[in-house]
Formats: sequence, C-alpha cells, structure tokens
Amino acid sequence: MAQNLLKIKTKNSVAQTNPPHFYWREVDGAYLISNDSGCHAWLDAAAFKRFSAGTLREKDKAFEELSSKGFIRDRLDFADLAAKWKSKNSHLSCGPGLHIFVMTLRCDHKCLYCQSGAISLSAKGADMKWPAAKKSVDFAFQTTAPGLTIEFQGGEPLLNWAVLKKTVSYARKKEKLSGKRLNLGLVSNFSRMTEGYARFLLENEVSLCTSLDGPADLHNRNRICSGGNAHVSVRKWLRYFTRRNTGQGAGYRIFKPSALLTVTKFSLGRAPEIIDEYAGLGLEDVFIRPLSPIGYAKNSWSAIGYTAADFVAFYKESLGYILKLNRKGAVIREKMAAMLLEKIIGFSDPGYLDMRCPCGAAVGQIAYNYNGDLYTCDEGRMAAWEGDDLFKIGNVFRDSYKKAVSCSTARSCVAASELHLQPACSRCAYSPYCGVCPVYNYEAQGSLWGNMPANERCAFMKGIFGILFSKLKNSKDREILQKWVKK
Amino acid sequence: MGEKVKSHSRRIMFSKQIYAAEAVKLAAYVFSDKADIKLASSAGGVEAEVSWEGKDCAVAGEFANEVLNQQCRLDLAVKNGKVANMIVTKALLSASGETVKKRGKQ
Repeated sequence: MAQNLLKIKTKNSVAQTNPPHFYWREVDGAYLISNDSGCHAWLDAAAFKRFSAGTLREKDKAFEELSSKGFIRDRLDFADLAAKWKSKNSHLSCGPGLHIFVMTLRCDHKCLYCQSGAISLSAKGADMKWPAAKKSVDFAFQTTAPGLTIEFQGGEPLLNWAVLKKTVSYARKKEKLSGKRLNLGLVSNFSRMTEGYARFLLENEVSLCTSLDGPADLHNRNRICSGGNAHVSVRKWLRYFTRRNTGQGAGYRIFKPSALLTVTKFSLGRAPEIIDEYAGLGLEDVFIRPLSPIGYAKNSWSAIGYTAADFVAFYKESLGYILKLNRKGAVIREKMAAMLLEKIIGFSDPGYLDMRCPCGAAVGQIAYNYNGDLYTCDEGRMAAWEGDDLFKIGNVFRDSYKKAVSCSTARSCVAASELHLQPACSRCAYSPYCGVCPVYNYEAQGSLWGNMPANERCAFMKGIFGILFSKLKNSKDREILQKWVKK
Repeated sequence: MGEKVKSHSRRIMFSKQIYAAEAVKLAAYVFSDKADIKLASSAGGVEAEVSWEGKDCAVAGEFANEVLNQQCRLDLAVKNGKVANMIVTKALLSASGETVKKRGKQ
C-alpha cells in the first residue's frame, strides 16, 4: 500500500483531482468538452473516461492542452479564464445598443414569412409621425451603452421618407451633442429607392441592408412585390451601393451593402445557386437564417416551413459550398458562423443579440413601434401585432428609459434566458456560446422558458454548432474559419 | 403510467425521494387549464389524480413530464441560482444604469 501511494505522488504520474466544472457532448464516439470561459477541447473515449474520473496523468497526451484551457483543477489560470469570460460576456456591462425604429407598417411586398406585420400601402395611421420619431431618438440616446445603432425598419421604411430623413438628421445632431458613437442602418426591400434617397443616406453614413433569398424565381416566390419584380430592385441597388463603396465619397464613409437570406421550404436543395447569387453580386456575407413561427410564417408553416433536420442539412450544404468557394479564393463567409466563431475561437462578444445569455430583450435591444410603443425586440413587437402585448415594455411618451428596461417583462425575459437555470442548457456543451429566445419559446411552446428537448430552435442551433465544431477539427477548414473572425 | 381510476383519469405517485411537493404543485398549476388535478400527501410523497376531458391520452404523461421539468428547475436553482442571479442582476443593473450600493462600515 505504501509503495502504491508513493507511485501516485511521483512527479510524472500525478493523479488529477476531480476536474473543475465542465460541459460535455458525445459526437460519433469522440467527446467535446467546454467550460464557462468558452474554452473547448476534443477527447477520445478513453481520455474522456480518465478525465471525467479525475485520473488523467501529466504524461497523458491531452494533459497540456487541457491545462492551458482551464480543465485541470490544480492548473487553473484564474486571471486568464476570468478575462476570457469577461470578454465573451461584455454585453453584461452595458445597456441596449440596438434600437429598431419601425417607421411604418405599410409595405409594397407581401413576403410569405413576414414578421413585421406589414399592411397595405393605402392603410392610414400606420406611419411613425415626427413627434414619435424625435421622442424615440431622445429615448434611445439614454442608453447606458457607450454607443448605439438605430436601425430603420418597417414595413418598408422608405414609404415614410419625410420622417425618416428628418430622424436621420436629428440623430446625427444628437450624436455630436451626446458624445456617444452612433451607427445608422436601413433595412429595406429597395423597391422605393431613388438616387436622391441614396445620396442622402450615403452622405449621412447610413449602412444599407436588404433581403436576398436567391435567384429571381426563388426570391420572387418568397417575396411578392405588388409593384413588380422584387429581385430586380434588389440586384439594381446592391450593385449601386457596392459601386459607391468601391469608389468611396468625399468626407464620409460608404459601407458595403449587406443582405439577409431567409430560408423557406423552397430554398431547400438550392444552396449552391443561392450562394452563387450572393457571390455574383460581390456580397461578402451570407446570413443564413431559419424561419421562426412568428408572424405570417406561423400561419403558413405547412406551406413554407420545414423541420430542424431539413434546415441543418441545408446549412451544412451551404457552409460546405462557401468553404469550397473560399478555397478557390472567393471572399465570402457565412455570417452566423462568423458570429458564433467569434465566441468559440475569438473569445469575444459579437453583439449577436439572438444568441447571448441572457438574451438581449430590452437590455440589449429595444423595438420602437410606429406609435411610440416599446417592445423587448422586433419579435416581441410582432407578438403584439398578433394580439398579445406580453412583450411591451412601455411607450416613449409615457415611460422613462429606466422604467422600460427594468419593467417586469424585461426582468422575466432576462431571467428566462439565463442558461444556468435551463435544465437542458445547463448541461450542454454548446451553452457557453449559445442563447435562447423567450419570444420564440412563448410563440412556439407557450412559455418564456420553453422546453429545450422539444424546441426546434434548439435543434437548429445544436445542428449548426455540431457542424461548426466538426469543421474546426479539419485543419484546412479551420484555417479559413479563423480568417472569418474579426481581430 | 399510474393506476387507472376511471376513464380520462389517472393517478400518479410522485416519490419524495425524487420530487419535492413544490414541483408537483407548480406543475399542477401549469396544467390547470388542461386538466383537473387533485393532490394528496402520502407517506411516500405526493399523489396526483389527473382527470381530463377529450380523447387525448397523453395528458397524464405530459403532466408527469412537467413535474420533472419543474423539479429540474428547482434543483438547478439550488445548484446554479447564485451565479444565475449575479448574471441577471448585472445585466439589468447595467441596462438601467444603477450601481450596487456598497454597505458602509458598522
């Protein structure tokens, strides 16, 4: 017995005590482990058994890597682990940075999956008036965040040009007085864009974003334009803004335009064509977004929806194709992957409000409806359009900033999205990089907390994480993916 | 699953070795719009009689799942409540601009 004890204490075969807290997941016989600081590692079955039993030895192949990543109890570098955690969770130190202004509910498109509650062009009383817009700007600038983004959405925001223009000018003036950094963005279908509008927007450094669902037949099938061909407008103005970005103007920055992809049932099986459409237009990001059962999509799910497995297969095919293009020298990346990788290998906060813990409801973003009503997010505003005001947090005319961001709705959403209290998430290897959406949970499953084992959004994200971690194991893919993460 | 008392009714015993009475009560509240649930204490734990209308045979099983869900949350609150509360509080205080008041010396 005495001899055995001596062996255990010998320098090169020190037995490890029980490992510090870690998450794990078995994938095809190998084990992914992660921790709250965001470090991760892969172990084969035998090494995982030794690691989890606390019998890993110093001379073990995995020991050095695990030591450096905070998985060995008596080798913990607390300063490094704390710094990584803080960087990845920097959103906890400031208030809402994203402020979504719904300039109008009117729209000239009737997209199959509309989540904005768009109504007809002729509708009355659905435009944001100047007093509400001004009040909303004043409200937004009260954020505790050092900088903010005001994003103009709709309906189609260009339909309320007069107020939009005035709001942009006012916000820029406010920026100079406040000392806060302001980014302005416009999300538009471009059908109403003109040279005059474009000039004003560019001169005021408004970044432009649109939707592009793929080649013409697919885009127009998803996004029906009452005035003509939706795809033609998108291509025309994407080319215009890309040319202007290449040329740049005098005295102001011109941002490269961006586009979002919403995947419907009609997109499945057409990944290469869709990516080629983006690459052909010189777009450097494809943001592949799944449908959510909110808004029109909820009622037409049988016609346009799909299972999580279908979406993950589409995502895998798309990402594979994008990596193939990268190997040929193309500059194009998948935006969701890039943001998640910022957390996984960049240990930083990408500002992706849909995927953070706790979620950004009220504390990371606020949606301002055309009438001044305030919501936790745009999805929460959509739930109200459907008749449920649960996610309303106030009104710019009646409520103070402090009251809105600390109301019971805000507190409930923050508490419901804290992953350490979610039964499934608290044990999931992806939780250091993930986030839940209380609005999705409520719309799809009837509670803010949701039920992750039966939650399709959870299934989507597990699929995406699985693909990303698998790609990171391949050295050639890893080299490309590392370039996608901003320094 | 449980002992059949009458049609559209099930009796389920939740052992106190695994389930706190609070978990059963919370689940009963969640299911108050789906079924009539009568709870009774016994030596072994809490007995629930779940009665419902309609042909859906899954109600009792779903109720048992909800009890498990609530128990898991209670367990997690004990295990992770401190760190979760710190994170939630930090997020809300940062957004509202409040700071934590330091206690003065006694």
